[in-house]
Amino acid sequence: MRAARRKGLGPLVLIAPAAVLLGIFLILPYLNIVVMSFRMPGQGTPYGPGFTTGNYTKFFADSFYLHQVANTLWIGLLTTAICLVVGFPVAWQLARGTMRFRALAYGLVLSPLLVGIVIRSYGWTILLGNAGLINRTLTGMGLIDRPLPLMYNALGIVIALVHVFLPFMILPIMAGIQGVDPSLESAARSLGASRFTAFRRIVLPLCTPGIQAGCILVFVLSLSAYVTPSLIGGLRVKTMAVTVVDALIDTFQWPWGSALALMLSVTGALCVVIFARLTRMKWKVARP
Amino acid sequence: MTEVSIERLTKTFGTARAVDGISIRIADGEFISLLGPSGCGKTTTLKMIAGFEEASEGAIRFDGKDVVNVPAEKRDIGMVFQNYALFPHMTVDQNLAFGLEMRKIAKPEMRSRIAKVLDMVQLGGYSERFPNQLSGGQQQRVALARALVIEPKILLLDEPLANLDAKLREEMRVFIRDLQRRVGITTVYVTHDQAEAMTMSDRVVVMFGGRIAQIGAPSDIYERPENLEIAQFVGQVNLIKGTIIGAAEAGKRRVASVFGEVAVDSREDYAPGTAVTLSLRPEAIELRPEGQGGAAGKVTARYYSGSIIDYRVALDSGETLHVQTFPNIRIAEGDRVSVHAPADGFWLLGAAK
Repeated sequence: MRAARRKGLGPLVLIAPAAVLLGIFLILPYLNIVVMSFRMPGQGTPYGPGFTTGNYTKFFADSFYLHQVANTLWIGLLTTAICLVVGFPVAWQLARGTMRFRALAYGLVLSPLLVGIVIRSYGWTILLGNAGLINRTLTGMGLIDRPLPLMYNALGIVIALVHVFLPFMILPIMAGIQGVDPSLESAARSLGASRFTAFRRIVLPLCTPGIQAGCILVFVLSLSAYVTPSLIGGLRVKTMAVTVVDALIDTFQWPWGSALALMLSVTGALCVVIFARLTRMKWKVARP
Repeated sequence: MTEVSIERLTKTFGTARAVDGISIRIADGEFISLLGPSGCGKTTTLKMIAGFEEASEGAIRFDGKDVVNVPAEKRDIGMVFQNYALFPHMTVDQNLAFGLEMRKIAKPEMRSRIAKVLDMVQLGGYSERFPNQLSGGQQQRVALARALVIEPKILLLDEPLANLDAKLREEMRVFIRDLQRRVGITTVYVTHDQAEAMTMSDRVVVMFGGRIAQIGAPSDIYERPENLEIAQFVGQVNLIKGTIIGAAEAGKRRVASVFGEVAVDSREDYAPGTAVTLSLRPEAIELRPEGQGGAAGKVTARYYSGSIIDYRVALDSGETLHVQTFPNIRIAEGDRVSVHAPADGFWLLGAAK
């Protein structure tokens, strides 16, 4: 009896701390946001009495905000794609390279995480600004007449986000590749497949879960990034996250900010679901 | 049908010579084992034949054509890996079809070839299973089928039975050997297990430290080893001190030892009076109750293991013998015994060091 009871309670006890944390700090605030997004705008107060769907009609009526959502998604997609292209070869080398190389590369990959995000983003403003290092060097060399527009646009944000989030792409992919037995490639080649075919038909499908995880992580992080877009985009280019913070903190419109935040969450989640469906594994690892 | 010729094949890693100038000629349809302890270069040799490892020097010829610069996928080999290396995201059928797709074999022929090979490895009903739904032995047979279905020139096996339990391993030895005979494919088999190499191969290549120590039929290796190291690697061996007396009939030398004067098989000639080492296999020795001639000694230990009994016998002359007999003689620990060894149980290993 006691053993059975313990067995039943065990898992509950184990997940309880995480469940409590999630409940208090994620689910409750989310519910609060949902409720808040239907409240009336306030007059000199964060929100007024009564409920309305006005925040949402405002959102869908104004192409400015839809455009901003599209812009945010576009920045997220671009960041994810570049991270994937840049990160995959690094992850490959980390997973399959020689030991000495691995130690060094590990350090390099993790190094961006060791410096605070604010400092890193400021660093990028020094590099990307009109009087920044890159533009000064290029003008100095006589390669360009005018500074390149690297800051206060989507390009600058994407460059900085790639730098910040690259480790989140590399590490899951590396783990994925490490999970693929190298002798599978040898087997494929012994059966007549070229290196490329062996990679495409065998390695790639098997490390898809790692690639999925990396892409989803980077995409979600990019959508919700605030510090980097606000520092590098400035007032010129705003992502949804920046606009949400503006609404909540600067202009004190809690219902409007909540609606915006929810729309960002919903579109982001939709994108992730669509991505997961598209890259869904066509095989299932059946258990005996 | 392919003849393989390996000439002065060498592989260096930095300054280390993993494979050091080995030459082997493998006849068409022959089953050859590369046998040796880990690190002896046997797997590196196999990888060079397969094309996964570049040869530093030397040639590998398939039917006279040097393939050293041919990439693995163009060598037309079938390979079975120690861990089977089945594609986990493909069914048995898809695993087998992979090599045929690479060869652009038409669908109907593909189907019939897969069915035929699956039948051959007795996995007829398993084509829709995924590898992890199969037992180790079944996975092993799928790996064999996948290597054979492409009808390669050469079959390469890299310790394929190492991950199976003892009973299954013995079954699979016979299975692989029979299959190889039926298909008639030239086969190179890498193993560190001497019993495996002996039971399956036409010839065994014993390797130590990147070099070939001896090439020969299993009986040759076992009964006429070139040196002590080989003798000890392929089985248990008792070392007996002896002195050359003179020549005996064809290829034999008369040697005096604790077992009296015997005519012993030898590869080389030695001057009378030379101190030599004889090898004597444990299973060649016969124990009789005390007082029946031979060398006198006492049983110090007895290990019963069903099909055989192992004895340790301390001879009065000071040597310790390891003896294996059928369990039909009842000699107990502590008994005094007469130890007999037939002349053909001895082999002259070489001059004593």
